[in-house]
Amino acid sequence: MNRQELFTLFSEDLFIPSLKAKDRDGVLQEMVDHAAAAGVIRDRDVILGMLKNRESLGSTGLGEGVAFPHGRSLAIPSLMAFFARSVKGVEYGAIDGKPVKLFFMFIAPPIEKENRYLPALGQVVELIRDAGTREQLLQVAGYEQFRQIILGDGEESE
Amino acid sequence: MNEQLMLLVALQDLDTMIRETQDKVHATKLANMGFALEGVDDLRNAREELAGSIEKALLHRYERISQRLGRAVVPITSNVCLGCFAVIPTAYTSMENREKILYCENCGRILYWPRGT
Repeated sequence: MNRQELFTLFSEDLFIPSLKAKDRDGVLQEMVDHAAAAGVIRDRDVILGMLKNRESLGSTGLGEGVAFPHGRSLAIPSLMAFFARSVKGVEYGAIDGKPVKLFFMFIAPPIEKENRYLPALGQVVELIRDAGTREQLLQVAGYEQFRQIILGDGEESE
Repeated sequence: MNEQLMLLVALQDLDTMIRETQDKVHATKLANMGFALEGVDDLRNAREELAGSIEKALLHRYERISQRLGRAVVPITSNVCLGCFAVIPTAYTSMENREKILYCENCGRILYWPRGT
C-alpha cells in the first residue's frame, strides 16, 4: 500500500487534533464516541469492548509516544482509519512506559474484500518510525497539514 | 440493539481476535510491526465471562453454527445475508425486526445490520 492509498482511508470526520481524555480508556472512549457521532459505527459499546480486549492482549502503544489501537469487529461495515492527538499525552501502558500523544486507530470488519487492514496498519507503523514524521504530527494544526504529512509532502510516494 | 444480539456480536469479535492471534501468518505480521500478543489467556477469560451472560439456548446455537459454518453472526448488506448471499425476507427489514434476533432462512446464521438503518 502506498501513501496515497493509505490516506484515502482517513477522513476529516475522524480527526481529533486535541483529545480531552486523560487516560487510556478515556482516549478509546472519546475516539469511539466521535466515530459513533460521525455515523461510522453502530454499536459503540461493542467496538469499545473489542478495543479494550485488544489492549489486554498486549499494549498497542509501541513506544515513542505513539499507539495504534486496532482490531476487527462486526459492528463496523468497512475499514475505518482515525487519527487523534493528545497535546499533553496520556499514560497508555506503552512498551517504553512513555506517555502517548499520537493515536492511529484502525477498525476493520471481520470479512474485508480488499484486505487493506494489515497493510494499512503496517504502513502507518513504518511511517511513524521516522522521528521527523512524529515531530510533524505532534505539531499538526489541521487536517490539511495531516494530509500533507501522510502523503509525504514533497517526498516521492512509494 | 437487542442486548443478547450485542453480546453475540461482542463474543464473535473476541473469537475472531483469539483465532487471529493463534494464526501464525497473522501473528507474525503483527509481531513484525512490533505488537506483542501475550495476553491470550486474558482473552479466553474474557470470552468465558461474556459467554456466561448469554442465554444458554442462544449460546448453544451460536456455538453450533460457529463449528459448522465458521461465523455464526453475519452482516446484512443490501438485504443479502453475507454468510450465504441469500436475499432475506422483506419482513425482516422493518426497524422493529432489526432489533430482534433473526436467522437466515437459507443458512441459519444469525443476522446483524452493521449500519443500523
